[in-house]
Parts: sequence; structure tokens; C-alpha cells
Amino acid sequence: MTAIATDAGVLALEAAPAQGRALAPATTDTPDRRLAQAADCAARPVLALSDIALTFGGVAALRDIDLAVAPGEICAVIGPNGAGKSSLLNVISGLYRPDRGQVWLGERAFAQVPTAELAAHGVARTFQNLAIFKGLSVFDNVLMGLAHRVRAGFLRQIIGSPLARRIEAENRAAAEDVIGFLHLGDVRERSAGSLPYGLQKRVELARALVARPTLLLLDEPFAGVTLSEKLELSEHVRNARDLYGATIVLIEHDIGVVMGLSDRIAVLDNGSKIADGTPDEVKADQAVIDAYLGVAHQDVTELAV
Amino acid sequence: MSAAPSTAQLSPSAGAFVIAVGAAIAFGAVPLLGFDYLMDAVLTPFLALALAAVGLNLLTGYAGQVSLGSAAFLAVGAYATYNLHLRLPQLPLLVDLVLAGLIAAAIGIVFGLPSLRLRGFYLAVSTLAAQFFVQWALTKFGWFSNDNPSGVIDAPVLSVAGFTFTGPAGRYVFSLSVVVVATFLTLRLLRAQSGRNFIAVRDHELAAKVIGVPLLRTKLLAFGVSSFLIGIAGALWAFAYLRTVEPAGFNLDRSFQILFIIIIGGLASLRGAFLGAAFIVVFPLILSRAGAALLGGVFDSGVLEMSQRIVVGALIIAFLIAEPRGLIALWDRLWRAVTRPAAVRNT
Ligand SMILES: Nc1ncnc2c1ncn2[C@@H]1O[C@H](COP(=O)(O)OP(=O)(O)O)[C@@H](O)[C@H]1O
Ligand SMILES: [Mg+2]
Repeated sequence: MTAIATDAGVLALEAAPAQGRALAPATTDTPDRRLAQAADCAARPVLALSDIALTFGGVAALRDIDLAVAPGEICAVIGPNGAGKSSLLNVISGLYRPDRGQVWLGERAFAQVPTAELAAHGVARTFQNLAIFKGLSVFDNVLMGLAHRVRAGFLRQIIGSPLARRIEAENRAAAEDVIGFLHLGDVRERSAGSLPYGLQKRVELARALVARPTLLLLDEPFAGVTLSEKLELSEHVRNARDLYGATIVLIEHDIGVVMGLSDRIAVLDNGSKIADGTPDEVKADQAVIDAYLGVAHQDVTELAV
Repeated sequence: MSAAPSTAQLSPSAGAFVIAVGAAIAFGAVPLLGFDYLMDAVLTPFLALALAAVGLNLLTGYAGQVSLGSAAFLAVGAYATYNLHLRLPQLPLLVDLVLAGLIAAAIGIVFGLPSLRLRGFYLAVSTLAAQFFVQWALTKFGWFSNDNPSGVIDAPVLSVAGFTFTGPAGRYVFSLSVVVVATFLTLRLLRAQSGRNFIAVRDHELAAKVIGVPLLRTKLLAFGVSSFLIGIAGALWAFAYLRTVEPAGFNLDRSFQILFIIIIGGLASLRGAFLGAAFIVVFPLILSRAGAALLGGVFDSGVLEMSQRIVVGALIIAFLIAEPRGLIALWDRLWRAVTRPAAVRNT
């Protein structure tokens, strides 16, 4: 896996269409993954968007977006800067209220997802700009991902009631687990704000993963990190799905990484979804080639990272 | 903003030893040796201010909610204790103290409600409402001061379970006990999930909301606990230190003083609150001695006050620019410099 991912990263620096071809087998070659996907076809999507529209003062950020993400899928959302990718995640996590349309999380539909209950619904996310808690240690940052599980009131926490102690112990064990999973053990006591950017990104991923979300939303998790960190992080994302069973919606500029990592790709341009399919389908799509993958556009989007 | 106490850097047994020695000096040697002036004029006000600073640091340093209303909650604590003692004489003093803290907490929660919408500077301005409202109410309604025309109240004798704390030593030991217990419980809160929630709300409110930190409850808890602690500090200030108080003693200057304590001492550090309080109490004493020695008669109380304000103001600016983590960061660095050579030798 690591070797393949490495290829993906190296190729990412070259022309886009070639990468897709080289990498297409990487996502589909695991037999049990295929079986799992086949079984999932019948299952209800973990996330579904129907007819979402969002405007900001007359500017359409999203137009008529439909999207369904099946359990266990890694679905990438790509598109040039300002295409509406982050707005889409913000709608899914309830930070924006769409003008129209509904967000389905499993069986429940929302006109606006209640952000405060997101974690309780099994949804976790990371942000395009780092959103870690700089004043907390790495371990405490990860522990914060379980804040919604702490049902003991503050008096119980002060006196250390059995309930408070049990929840604390469970959460610490879960955090310990993710710290190991993402190889953050060496820096677990460091204050998160003092770490290099790439590690901070990983801390944010760990915080999102610790609650074992059914749906994980990642907004440009690889942006601004070095190439080797990018490869490592993308491996972690894949493992999050393979080992933790999370369904993942991922925004990423680097098409090479996306092609190698995702089962499905949705392409946004100017607020509209212009394509949606497997990496191979998307790569062959004329609208996508025109809007995004075209050589003329390539430099623009890559620079925009 | 390191919240980890320096004792964490010591081995557990060394930490316990330091605490034991500290306790023996604070509870035993100081009162027994009878440093009356020290206890009366330095240690007792230091303890009350330190507890107030612990309260404000929880709110501002940890939870990131700036408040300029600390003196209001000191006043509420003092006047509530006075009235509870006066009007419900059957209640033991410690119960009065806790109830007074709860009353201050309730008022703090009410004045904390704007924090759901306002941040930073705007929130600070809105907490001024607490400051002015409380001072106005205490002056306006004679009932609070038992109809004393000037609003002045005289302290009851501190007594717990038939044991009275009258002299300087008694009032000091009483304050010390209250402050130690309150600080210990605060530390436990800060080390639990609530304390992490405070810092999360401070560092990234949106991320905190997304992971399910209840913003409303967390902020109001910070306001409530902070006002509770400051209220109890106010009762100590009034009854263990001054023994006669008036509303004007809890004016905006006092609120700023407590804010300066936590900035100078170190935001988001309980040790910083103590260090800052010690500085604010001891510094004018040193300044007046030094001033008198150097300048003689010219250095009267007016000059003292002015030079004190200038130096404290300059220090605030210096700290905000050069060491936002305050005296406690300097202290920790010094401590490491002293202990590291030893550690190197040992290995
Ligand atoms: N909070 C907001 N207020 C106003 N306009 C916004 C806001 N968020 C996004 N937009 C606009 O919506 C469009 C899509 O932005 P965004 O979703 O951030 O794109 P992407 O993540 O694909 O780069 C842009 O034109 C952007 O300016
Ligand atoms: Mg974006």
C-alpha cells in the first residue's frame, strides 16, 4: 500500500491524466473491499444530499447538488478554488443553512444539520484551516474528540465520582488507541500549538477519528504539508476507512492523491456538480477535462493550493 | 499557555515533599512565629487577591472570556456573607460563605449570558455592566448594608464550630484554609473534561462546537465557577483582611487590579495567579521602602501611588509583548535552569 501511495504522490507532480491511469488499479485491487462494496450497494447511504442550493448575497456557492455516499466509501470532492467544496462540507456539518434541499445523515433528514449534535450523530470533521486547540497537549486534543461522551456533570468531575472516572478511563483508552494508530506517541505530551504544521494536521485527524465516526468529513487534509507527510496522511485516511470503518468525504486539490485514494469522485465547478463517478469515469469525462483536468487549468489549480 | 504545574516536572515524591514543607511553613511556622504585620498587611490580602485571581484566570485565562467585572463579584460575596450572617444568624459561617459564593455565581451567570454572542473587547465592555450595576445597587439600597448611611459594613467575627479566628494569625489561617481548599477543587475541575472544554472553547470555539462541546453550558459554567471563587475571595477580603468595607472599595480599579494580576502572573496558570497576587501585594511595599530610602520626604503617598501605576502599566505592556505567559513562565525557566545542571550530573 505504501509503495503504491508513494507512486501516487510522485505522479501527482506530473500531468494529471497519466496519474489516474497509473493508479486506477490501486483502489480496486483488494478483493474483500470489493465484496464489502457490493454488499453495501443495497445499504442506505451514510450521507445523502438532495437538491442543495446555497447563495451568499446573490453569489451562488452551491447549485442543485445531489450526492449519495455509500457506507465504507471514500468519496472525494474536487474542483478549483471557490468551486464550493468547503461550502458543501459546511452544509453537511450544519455550519451553513442551505437555501434549499435536505441533508440526510443515515435515516434522518435535516434542512439544517444541528452542529452541536453532529458528534452524537456519528459525524466528525476537520477544517481547511487548522482547527486544533493550541493550548492543549496532543493527547488532550485527541481526548477532546470524545467531549460529547462525558455525561458526568462538573461536580461529579471534581469529586471524581465512579461515573466520571469510568468515562474518563474509557475516553483515555480510546485516545491512546488513536495516538498509536496515527503514530503520535512521541509527541503526545507536547502542546499541540508547538508542533510543525503537518503534525498539527495529524492531530486534528486523530481528534476526528477518536470517536470512531460513521462519517468523516475532511477538508483539504493534505494541503500545505510536505510530500512525504501527504503520502503518510493519505495512508492514514485509507486506514481510517479500512480499520475504523469510517465513510469518508474528502476534499483535496491534488488529483494524483485523490485518484489513488478514492472510490468515488464528485467534481464541483462554480457551485455545480459537473461529474460524479469512479476515478476512471471522472478522468474520462469531457466536462471534467474541460473544466478542471485540462492542461491549461492544471497550473492554476495546483498553484491555488 | 502551559497549564501544567511545575510540580509535574518534579518526581512525585519530590513534589509531595515540596507541598509538605510549604504547608508546614504556611500553616505552622508563619502563624506560630507571630509575624503579625506580615500576616495582617501582606499574607491575608495576598490570599484573598490570589483566590480572586484564580477565579478570573479560570474565566479569562482558561475559558478565554474577558471580564472587567471581578470587583462586582468580590462585592457580592462580601455583602452576601454579611447579610446572611446578619439575617440568618443560625447558619454557620462556612455555610454563609458557600451560599455567598453561590449568589455571586448566580449573578455571574446572568452577566455571562452576553458571552454567547459577544467576544473579546465587546464582552469585556458588557461585563462592565456588572461592575456598575452591583456598585450602584449596593449604594442605592440601604438594605444591603443594614441601612448604614454610607453603605459601610462591619465584619462579624470569623468563627467556625465554636472556634473563633480573631487575631492576625487566626484570620490568616482561616483565609489560608479556605484558599487552599478552593484552589484544590478548582484544580480538579480544570484537570477534568470541563477544564479541557474551557481551553477548547478559548482556542477554537467552532471546532469545540463541532465535536460536541456544549458552548452555552461551558461558558456559563466558567462564569459561574469564576464568580463563585471571586465571591468567596470578596468575603475573605472584607472579613479576614479589611474587616470593614464599603461599595467604593470594589470599584473598577479593583477589577483592573485582578486582571493585571493574571496578566503579570500568567494567563491560564493557577500558580501564575498566586505569583501575580504576590507581586501586586509586595511590589508597592518594596516601592515605598525603596522610594523613601532614595528620595526621602519627596516620596509621599501621592508619588508612591503614581509611580506604582506607572511601573505596573509598563510591566503589563512589557509582559504582553515579551512574555505573554507572565511571571510564571520566567519562574519555570529559572527553575529549569537551576535544576537542569543537576539532572545532567545525575545521568
Ligand atoms: N461565509 C461565506 N460568506 C460569503 N461567501 C462565502 C462564504 N463561504 C464561501 N463563500 C463563497 O462561496 C464560494 C465557494 O467557496 P468555498 O466553498 O470556500 O470554495 P472551495 O472550498 O471550493 O475553495 C466562493 O465564491 C466563496 O467566496
Ligand atoms: Mg475550501
